[in-house]
Parts: sequence; C-alpha cells; structure tokens
Amino acid sequence: MFNRKINYRLPRNFLFIFELMSLFLLFIYYRHDLDKFTIFSGLMLVFIVYISNFMLLRISTGDNFIFLIVTMLVSIGGIMIYRIDSTLGMKQIFWIGLGIILFFITYFLIKKIKGWENWFLIYVISSILLFILTLILGSRVKGAVNWISIGGISIQPSEIIKIATIFTISSYYTNYDKFKKMKFGSYYLIGIMYLFTLFLFLQKDLGSVLIFSAIFLCLQFIYEENRKLVLLNILILSVSAVIGYFIFPHVMSRVEIWLNPWKTIDTKGYQITQSLFAIAEGGFFGTGLGLGHPEFIPEAHTDFIFSAICEEMGIFTGIGIIILFLILVYRGFKISIKQRNEFFRIVALGISILFGIQSFIIFGGVLKMIPLTGITIPFVSYGGSSMLSSFIALGILQVASEELDFEEE
Amino acid sequence: MFNIISIIFKYVFIIIFYLFILSVIRLIYLDIRGIHPTSLDNTSYFKLINRKDSLPFKVKEYYPLDDEILLGRDNNNQIVIKDPYISKRHLKIVKDEGDYYLEDFNSANGTYLNGDKIMDVVRLENGDRIRVGQVEFLFVNKE
Repeated sequence: MFNRKINYRLPRNFLFIFELMSLFLLFIYYRHDLDKFTIFSGLMLVFIVYISNFMLLRISTGDNFIFLIVTMLVSIGGIMIYRIDSTLGMKQIFWIGLGIILFFITYFLIKKIKGWENWFLIYVISSILLFILTLILGSRVKGAVNWISIGGISIQPSEIIKIATIFTISSYYTNYDKFKKMKFGSYYLIGIMYLFTLFLFLQKDLGSVLIFSAIFLCLQFIYEENRKLVLLNILILSVSAVIGYFIFPHVMSRVEIWLNPWKTIDTKGYQITQSLFAIAEGGFFGTGLGLGHPEFIPEAHTDFIFSAICEEMGIFTGIGIIILFLILVYRGFKISIKQRNEFFRIVALGISILFGIQSFIIFGGVLKMIPLTGITIPFVSYGGSSMLSSFIALGILQVASEELDFEEE
Repeated sequence: MFNIISIIFKYVFIIIFYLFILSVIRLIYLDIRGIHPTSLDNTSYFKLINRKDSLPFKVKEYYPLDDEILLGRDNNNQIVIKDPYISKRHLKIVKDEGDYYLEDFNSANGTYLNGDKIMDVVRLENGDRIRVGQVEFLFVNKE
C-alpha cells in the first residue's frame, strides 16, 4: 500500500520536470519578445496540470493513468506548437486549460445524470441538426465544409458529433432487445449511420467518414447479433471506398501522392516529402528544440505536428508518443472489459477506438504508410474543437473506468 | 548559448520522457498484478461472494491463504478490510498439518460460519461460507 502511493507520485513528477524544463528552454528561445502574461500562463498551465493529476487521484476511484498519459501528450504538443508559432502556442495553452476544465465538468455531469442509455432519439436528432447546421452555415476550408463560425469563434461540429455517434451506437446496443422487437428494428442503426456518412460525404470531410465508419464497423462487429448485417456493412464500405476513389479527384490525388510523392515534389507532393525530410533530418535524438526547421512543412502545427516533433525532439520521442497512444487505447479496452454497466462498456470501447483509429490514420499518413487524410492527432495537434472534444471524450472514459452500480441487478 | 542548452536538453527530454513512460508502465503492471493473484494453483484461498461493487470499501475478489493470516480493519493485518462492522483485529486463520483453523478474537460483531456464530476455534472445510461484517467469503481448500 505504502509503496504504491509513492509510485503514483513518480510519473507526475517526471511530467512536472519535463514541463518546467521545456518552458525554461522556450522562454530563452523567445527571450527578445517575452511578456509577463506569457510566462504567467505557461507556469499556470504547468500548475493546473500538476494539481489536476493530484486531485483526480483523490476524486476518482477509477483509472489514474489515462489523464496522466494525456497530460503528457498535451504538454509535448503544446511545447511544439509554441515553438513553431508563439501566438498559436498561447491559444493552444488556453485551449488546454479550457479542455482540462471541461474534462472535470464532463466527469461530474456524466456521473451525476443518470439514464444516458435511454436517450437514443435525442442523440440522433441533435447529430442530424448539427449536420444540417454545418451544411447551411459551413465555410469551406481546404476542400471540406466542416467549419461553422458563430460570433468570431469557429467550431467544427463533426468533432462533437463523433461523441454523439458513440452514444447513439451504445444506447442502441444497450437497448438491443427492445429495438429487435420493432419492425425492421435491426436496420435502424445501420440506416442512421449511413445517413451520417452521407452528410459527411456532402461536406467532403473524408477523414471523418473514415473515423465514423471505423467506429461503427468495430462496435457492430462486436455487438451485432445479426452477422449478415456486419458482412453487408463491410461490403457496402468497400464498394463505396472504390466508388469514392473514382468520383472524388481529391481522393485519387491523395492515393497518387502516397504511391509516389517524388514525381510531384514541387506541387502536390511537397507537404509529404517535406515531412519525410524533417523526420530523416531529426535522427534518433532530434536537432534540439528551436534548432530545426519545422516551418518548412506546411501545416506543421496541426496535421504534421508529428513530423515537427520527430525533427526537433527525435524519433525516440515520436516512438514514445506512439507508445503513449498504445497504452491509452489499451487502458480504454481494459476499462471496457471491467465495466459492468452495458452502456458505459460500449461507450468506453467506442472512445478507445476513436483515439486509436484517429492517431493511427494520421501517424500512418505523415509517415507515408497509408494515404494521407487531414485529421488531427487527438490532444497533440493544434485546434480548439479537437482538443475540447477529446477532453470531453476522456472525461466520459474516466467515468466509465469507475464501478458504476446505479444499474439495478 | 541557446544552441548548447538546447542540445543538452534534447537528451534530457528523451530520458525524462522515457522514464515517464516506464513509470506508467510499471504502475500498470502493478495494477494488473493486483487484480489477478500471482498464482492460485496450489494455495487455498478466500473468494468473495458479495458483488464487489455492492460494498462501499475496497475488497479483493481473492485472498490467498498462507500459514498464518490475520484479518481486520487495522493496517497491520494481512487481509485489511475497511468495513466498520469488522473489528481492528477480527480473526486469525492458522494452517496446521494441511487443515485450516479459524479463530475469532472476541470481535464485536462476531464471525459466522455457514450462518452460525463461531464461539471457539473451528476447522474449515472446503466450501465453507465465512461472514465477517458485511463481507461473505467462500473458503476453497486446495490441499
């Protein structure tokens, strides 16, 4: 018992030292234009992260590792973004702080309110409303209509719909027996999911299509009793992938770049080749923070942050980030296996699949293992919506890691 | 100047980063080992009958039994259960020539073996149900 308490402090302290040292280094790097506010917010964030990790151990009886891992990922991402662009870095620090607050709010709300499994229709209707809102108000950014801006704040509704979708699928399979009795009951979910996918196709947000389909396919594969539906789903997905390749020139060029980026190195292949150069330049230990040239990679702060990290902090840090994601997903699966409440069991599984598939797609993309799709690395990349929705998902996972006995036995 | 610091720091960063990962992995390893006892093959053990989440305190699913085991609310016992109905030193289990004997230390709320309150030392049989406070165990003898 005693031994264990001491051990919990160890990773927390490593994280603390890591953050303080990197802040120190970055403040030297930006020593010419440094104001008190920047120093204050940097130190404030380190403090908040430390206190949150400390408090969570007291508040929650569940898993203590997922938040620890995520704060490490967040710190590395924040450091790198601040190094690339100090204004974006300040914004990112703000988003991280807000995300941690949202994490705790979500944690208490999800735990306090009971009956999440019974609101199937609410999840479906609110997702559809958000989709329609995106189509009407959406503005086109980099070929995809997935941003709406209200009063100067741009948000990406698909990030929130991701979580709503996981809730939809979970509440469907929790009340599976009820739905089965209805006419065409087992086709409801598949219909709704294809409607969602259609909306995403209309927005031309193909990265999200991939994520939504993957989550749905995995959960369906595990929980669907009618196995023919799973086969049907796989068939439809593979056929539509092939059709999508021929319909969208966007997709075709992505595959072309993936097969041979060197042919179009000065135009389309520029980004991915720069990413590969950056990773190669870094080597095992990296060039050192502030000594590389991540600004050569377009979009280095969002989609390609992994290459920037590999360049300046080394392949070892890159491998470490992948290990952290592996542990995170593994913890998610373990939480799901341990949870006895059916609804939160499926939700935990869905969220771990979300983190896993999202990081897999983008790591594979920047390393040129699979065709590149522009999505963010959860917790690491720059982006308000992505950061906040990931922290909300993490809050839900934290609740799912506890023993919830409000289900009657 | 900055370059030198940065180059030194990059090695330190990787070392701290990997120490962090290793300490997390070690904690997870301890966590997993805490759930499944190392081996229950040849040892006798207590198995929890209550649903684990129906009890408002920490209790494990399995307690392997050694030669001499003390159970109670106090931290000096081998089996610590923070149930307010369990005394600080509640009972003792002793192994003697392959048999297990249970002795109650005059605890306030007593110990019940298959529903009967224990007065003296009793010998435990395979499949006995032992109730202490709000917790009920099944005794499994592997000898």
